[in-house]
Amino acid sequence: MADGSLRKFYGWFTVLGLLVGGLVVFGYYKDEDREWKDYQRKFVQEEIRRASTAQQRALAERMPVQIRQILLPDLNRVDRCTTCHLAVDDPSYGGYPQPLAYHPLHEQHPVERFGCTVCHRGQGRATTAADAHGNVPHWDEPMLPLRYIQASCGKCHESADNPGAPELARGQQVFEDSGCRGCHKLGDVGGVIGPELDKVGTRRSPEWLKNHFLAPATVTAGSAMPPQKFSEPDLEAVTLFMLSQTGETAPGYYASMKVIPSAREGQRLFQQKGCIGCHAVAGKGGTVGPALDDVGLRRSPEWMVQHFREPQAVSPGTVMPQFSFTEGEARALTEFLLHLREQKVESNLPSLMSPVERGREVFRKYGCAGCHGIDAKGGVPNPNAKTAELVPDLIRVAEGYTKDELKERILKGQREISALDPKRPPPPLYMPPWGGIINDAEADDLIAYLLSLKPGGEESGF
Amino acid sequence: MNAPLPKQIWKWFERTRVGRSIFRVGLPQSNLERAQAMVSSFLLHIQPAKVNRYSLRASYSLGLGLISLYLFLILIGTGVLLMFYYVPSTDHAYNVMKDLQFVVSAGLLMRNMHRWAAHLMVIFVLLHMCRVFYTGAYKRPREFNWVLGVGLFLLTLGLSFTGYLLPWDQLAFWAITVGTNIAAYAPYIGSNLKYLLLGGNVVGQEALIRFYALHVIVLPAVAGLMIAVHLWRVRKDGGLSRPDEPGDIVQQVALSQLPTSKTYGLMELARGTTPQVGRNPEDEVFAWPHLLFRELLLFLLVVAAVLFLAIFWNAPLEEPANAIHPPNPAKAPWYFLGLQELVSYSAFWGGVVVPGVLVMALVLLPYIDRKRKGVGRWFARERAVANTIFTVCLVILVVLTIIGSLFRGPNWSWQEPWKKAPAATEGH
Repeated sequence: MADGSLRKFYGWFTVLGLLVGGLVVFGYYKDEDREWKDYQRKFVQEEIRRASTAQQRALAERMPVQIRQILLPDLNRVDRCTTCHLAVDDPSYGGYPQPLAYHPLHEQHPVERFGCTVCHRGQGRATTAADAHGNVPHWDEPMLPLRYIQASCGKCHESADNPGAPELARGQQVFEDSGCRGCHKLGDVGGVIGPELDKVGTRRSPEWLKNHFLAPATVTAGSAMPPQKFSEPDLEAVTLFMLSQTGETAPGYYASMKVIPSAREGQRLFQQKGCIGCHAVAGKGGTVGPALDDVGLRRSPEWMVQHFREPQAVSPGTVMPQFSFTEGEARALTEFLLHLREQKVESNLPSLMSPVERGREVFRKYGCAGCHGIDAKGGVPNPNAKTAELVPDLIRVAEGYTKDELKERILKGQREISALDPKRPPPPLYMPPWGGIINDAEADDLIAYLLSLKPGGEESGF
Repeated sequence: MNAPLPKQIWKWFERTRVGRSIFRVGLPQSNLERAQAMVSSFLLHIQPAKVNRYSLRASYSLGLGLISLYLFLILIGTGVLLMFYYVPSTDHAYNVMKDLQFVVSAGLLMRNMHRWAAHLMVIFVLLHMCRVFYTGAYKRPREFNWVLGVGLFLLTLGLSFTGYLLPWDQLAFWAITVGTNIAAYAPYIGSNLKYLLLGGNVVGQEALIRFYALHVIVLPAVAGLMIAVHLWRVRKDGGLSRPDEPGDIVQQVALSQLPTSKTYGLMELARGTTPQVGRNPEDEVFAWPHLLFRELLLFLLVVAAVLFLAIFWNAPLEEPANAIHPPNPAKAPWYFLGLQELVSYSAFWGGVVVPGVLVMALVLLPYIDRKRKGVGRWFARERAVANTIFTVCLVILVVLTIIGSLFRGPNWSWQEPWKKAPAATEGH
């Protein structure tokens, strides 16, 4: 055995052994070198700097450098944001620069309960700033820009009456007033000309949405959608409202906060649950139960909440059924009844409205204004349509249609719109069939409203 | 001469009662001990005590088979570690990938090593097959070992393909969707085959658990066993093929011609090429250290290469699997893109006939091409026809794979990779 040939082997073993060893060490170092550790060390330094007693100082020094995570099985999330944002629950860090800033709404939305990404989006499992904030390839849920943060409130709360989310309420108002539902379906209500919007907030970026409102054809080639003339604040608000449409529903505890107790929400519930069938308000309604105009003078709020939860407990022998109101709903109804006491409400409960008034609500609810204009005055462009390239107004339908014709027209729609010039592309907007979407009573109300629009005309005999 | 301290400690240890009970021979000092060390060790005995100098030439075998084996071992090692974390559930699998990346120590490194070793194994098994073809090493007596090799190649593809689904991201979901759709083109059994693979008509939880079981138990066990048989037969067929092999000079005595009334020792039943017949001692060296050291060095080299790739390039992970948002184009794993390209011309020809004929041709090759000429030399002139046919097929396959991988854009339309893809229209 020649040792010379073996020596060559030993040389190679040394080289390759060192190479493998070096790569292992380097790989290990690269794996251990994580940016969140720097943030934690800086936080420890800051804590030590702020420590006023020896005990606090010792506590800060003992703070382990480790991943922090909030497990949210109900929300199917794991949020590790607090690995870097270490002071979100410490008010003394208010006004600190990120990542050490205190989270202002912490008391209502404690981070242990909600995590972060359910509102802010981003990638909760990630532990680098870029990945966690979500503006990386292959992650569909980047962080919501802070100016649109109210879009997330709607996940758990009714959007219309959340005092903390005025922009969201405004966005919804713009959405409903502009008649977007005439073409787009949202939450099962709306037309079929454009796509459904139930999950649009997860698919589109704020920039895309804004471009889409102002000039639809630039982001969707061949879009039939008429450009919208929103004011800047309205544009921001309706964009925010669109971003709030994620199709996500909050489970369990989170859903229990759906209704923020308010008089307005209580009024909505009051209508929805048909309370007026037994109780009268402002002289209208059933007589089985007592009138409620001044109930706030007779009963305490605690009594009322208990009454909604379990009527027999406070009024033994009462015929009032036990509705399964949630805590929030009971409190909202109570708010509404207290509200009745405080001021004589201009009640616009549905059963107290005239068919024409209800019809106006139907016109608004289904977004007819999207094509036929606010108050049915028309004016939305429909290129190459025979009616002066516009969607026709509805002011004078009473002159050309009987009630039955009108109803058929609404429920069956009109797919083919006669073109001005057969050589040009057909008009993009058409009348969709509303049968199956608008119920019969709503259709009758709507027709009453439309017939009432005739200038100088009197209300029809509905 | 004073040996270095570790060696002295080792020497002391192997002389102790415990050391002798484990190693029996210890570090060999003489040729006798070198032979003993090889024969008495379970792990080493699959290799010969002495090996032909010709077989040690890196320029002959290129170490491709060994590299494939090492990649398989790395895959088992990293794969077992990944199994400690992986959950084969559509709810959790993707999250596990994220956790491996963001919170598990060296988790991403293990995943990267597993991924790159898997890709490399497909490449090196194919290269190994090319080496065996171009050196005519599949000829008698190694015909069946070639068939086993073809089986191992298909198993390698199967292992890679089943592993492809496990991250449960868009890449995985749609690659497996496309891949199993190709399988469905098989006549008569196609749709049933797809159903069997997926446990349903679409890729879902059932498919994930099936692919997982195949990937971590069934295919590795079968592949491990076949690798053992493959290596065993390499040894029994006289080691690597050489130009000066005795070949058919010494015929094996047919068992049926032997009297059955007596018992036979091993030597009497040995085949012509084993263990020592026709060998020239001058051409041979001891496997310890000449073969073993080379093998160990190659192992270090392979580990270093895989580590290097794994440290600097991350395994891909796309969005979570989403059955209603197919990417355009949806592509099979890269090693099936040649097939997918063919399928884009004709599902029947590309998905059934061509791959079927190719596999059958590979399996039958040693029984069709039976002339014992040009064995043990690269590109032997006597084998020009066979080599040409093989090369043409190989080039076509590689070209198709490159086209499918790099030159196909949305709707499988032609698209040069250096031109930017037209912005996908944001359709409703």
